[in-house]
Amino acid sequence: MSSNSSPTGASARKILSSRNIERVVVLGANGTMGYGSAALFTQAVPHVTFLARTKAKADEGLAAAISQVRSPTVASRAETGDYDKDLEAAVAKADLVFEALTEDFDIKKAMFDRVEKARRDDSIVATVTSGLSINSLCEGRGDSFRKNFLGLHFFNPPNVITGTELIAGNDTDPAVVDFVDVFSRVRLGREMIRTADTPAFAGNRVGFKVLNEAAQLAETLGPVLVDKLVGPYTGRALTPLATIDLVGWDIHRAIVDNVFELTNDEAHATLELPAYMAKLMDKGVLGDKTGAGFFKRDGKTRLALDVASGGYKPVSEIALPDLGYIDDVAKLYHQGRYEEGIQIFLGADGDEAALARKVIAGYISYAFHRAGEVTETITGIDLIMGAGFNWAPPSVLVDTMGPASAVAMIEEAGLPVPEILSKAAASGEPRRFFDHPAINIGKYFVAG
Amino acid sequence: MSEVYVLGGYQTDFARNWTKEKKHFSALMRESVLGALAHCKIDPEEVESAHVGNFAAELYCMQGHLGAFFTEVHPAFSGLPTGRHEAACASGSIAILAASAEIEAGRYDLQAVVGIEQMKTVSAGEGGAYLGTAAWYEEEAEGVEFPFPKLFGRLGDEYDKRYGLKDEYLAEISKINYANAKLNPNAQTRTWYMNKEHALCRTDDNAAVGGRIRIADCSQVTDGAVCTFLASKAFATKYAERQGIQLADIPKIKGWGHNTSRLRFADKVMESREDRYVLPHVRSTITSAMKRAGIADVNGIDGIETHDCFTTSEYMAIDHFGITEPGESWKAVDAGWLEIDGKYPINPSGGLIGAGHPVGATGVRQLLDGYLQVTGQAGDYQIDGAKTIQTLNIGGSGTTSCSFVVGV
Repeated sequence: MSSNSSPTGASARKILSSRNIERVVVLGANGTMGYGSAALFTQAVPHVTFLARTKAKADEGLAAAISQVRSPTVASRAETGDYDKDLEAAVAKADLVFEALTEDFDIKKAMFDRVEKARRDDSIVATVTSGLSINSLCEGRGDSFRKNFLGLHFFNPPNVITGTELIAGNDTDPAVVDFVDVFSRVRLGREMIRTADTPAFAGNRVGFKVLNEAAQLAETLGPVLVDKLVGPYTGRALTPLATIDLVGWDIHRAIVDNVFELTNDEAHATLELPAYMAKLMDKGVLGDKTGAGFFKRDGKTRLALDVASGGYKPVSEIALPDLGYIDDVAKLYHQGRYEEGIQIFLGADGDEAALARKVIAGYISYAFHRAGEVTETITGIDLIMGAGFNWAPPSVLVDTMGPASAVAMIEEAGLPVPEILSKAAASGEPRRFFDHPAINIGKYFVAG
Repeated sequence: MSEVYVLGGYQTDFARNWTKEKKHFSALMRESVLGALAHCKIDPEEVESAHVGNFAAELYCMQGHLGAFFTEVHPAFSGLPTGRHEAACASGSIAILAASAEIEAGRYDLQAVVGIEQMKTVSAGEGGAYLGTAAWYEEEAEGVEFPFPKLFGRLGDEYDKRYGLKDEYLAEISKINYANAKLNPNAQTRTWYMNKEHALCRTDDNAAVGGRIRIADCSQVTDGAVCTFLASKAFATKYAERQGIQLADIPKIKGWGHNTSRLRFADKVMESREDRYVLPHVRSTITSAMKRAGIADVNGIDGIETHDCFTTSEYMAIDHFGITEPGESWKAVDAGWLEIDGKYPINPSGGLIGAGHPVGATGVRQLLDGYLQVTGQAGDYQIDGAKTIQTLNIGGSGTTSCSFVVGV
């Protein structure tokens, strides 16, 4: 696995000047990831070609990119075309080919057949896939393709979420990896995290485990209580079920089904899609894109799903137990007293607080157990959870509560304690797991 | 004169919106001070006094008595002498001047200086009016929408009148600041969409906000705080020993400059009509700092952190620093001298346009960036081999000017 370290300063500038990215071709430029990524490229690259099945669709992508970025330079730097007429010529001229087709192995494979024939030997080929294996996608291709092929996983929407996973294949040239790393960071303003070629890579593997566990809990607790319990005070701006609604239930299912099928780790059961979600999806419930998910709006009224009946009730009519401890935590966060706030959470009485701790304990335990598997160390997972999900990274939570408290919380939840945490707790020595001075950990503790 | 050492410090991420995080001013203060203590490995018990630079928390946050908030950060701070300093956008530098004067006078050995401003508490229009109080409000700002872009647009017009000024040079200044900001992990605009064509664009995507000033010419509305520690030679000696470094490797404030002009822009221009420099008091601030540092001219410094509240203010700084003859700043832009690898790098951090401009924090941020440069800790925006950096921090329309030379 590649290390997390990315070159900086003068050595980064040297790497940057080692190649010229004058022309980028974006394949699938009509989709959200396609035009969002293409828009990013136009700020740093003079010629960006938006390609889609038809020129009309590519034009739609360009129009969406312009309205997303609100700069006329998107248009002046872009051209559009279709696969039939324009692909070979555009790819032959491109320094970077960026694939953002639908998440289907065979469709991507067929496209890479054409790209491989048309591309120059020195061009880089990147895929934005969030779930398919990088090694499988380039299997059987020529040396030059495999050396220049990698995963560049932007998160949606790319102009807002900066966290980006960089996934090298077994044969990717390390110089290409370094270049794409520095270029994306310095020219595109990305936060780069190198991950292994494992199912759903790092961010979605850990993130969707937590989201799915929240969805499982909603079956008995209801969405309102779950989003309150795993809300901002646990280290996130957007609550988990509102996140699934935003992402789309179909995307959620694709990710957790993929991870559930391809992995078998200690938290396997939490990755199983709840049956009620599958049932509701059959009826067309897909989250915000269909106007209804865990939540929906009726004018100014926010409604919440009643899982048993499939109907919706105004959030204001749903009775909640006493969760006064959450207000106490938020008040301390409001003044920047994060350590004190989190201790209130850890000491809160009641079954609900215990359930909230179980989800957070699961997040920490799962993330630390994935270190060495999906990223070289926990730091890679920390960085993508911060910059990709806008969640408090697992190490930040451990540092803020202290390793002994973290271990106690994981034990209380009956979950496996990562060895590195039990060692840190036993030693009693003060240590910080998140040592990234440029990242303010306070930003993850949202007050209320 | 006794020496003033800079032990480093901590800057909050200027991209953060503390109102969205639902946080109070005190949280911003707390994170910057605790961050600085941890980063510099200084015990709270060692801090003897604190100076807070802030422009307008009374307006933005309905909160005064800001020096006292320092004591809320740590129990060990209870009882410390603290105070707050205000000189509009130069507030942070005034706090540094006060702290360093106390060290020079031998009163204290270790001082905290905090520059801080929380600005995203109000709408753009309301904030623009608050900023108008940095001018002579009744004379220049009352009833004017976004008064400051208009005042600095007039600075550009004055250059145009005396020497000629093409907007393409202003666009290039904007472009460089935004590009540098992409290298700075604490810069507000590091993820924003920007390139030269966008800075040059004359459509509503880059709307005019005051005369020739367009959005791309402006610095940002920013929430941010920066805490730095200043020390006497006695403390710095002890500190170097325990950090395992040489005293000579700890940067010092080698020179300072400080002038205040009349408030109204029209009066400044009237006073300078016979002068080669448009803002001669700003020039004097820069040269007096150089002189105190024993530096003959701009060739004696390796980089500049200047006050680009608008591209016109950086355009002014270029000739006022002596990089070119008065009125010829465009030559430095044209020659590529201002880039990080250039002959006279300006704002490797991204400056106020790229890094952001939490008004009261800016002077302290500039000093901390100077410290990072001369100790080789500036990461992607490091100027190779920088040993001496000069700052220029301006309050109002060129009214209060402060400059520091920091170096090893």
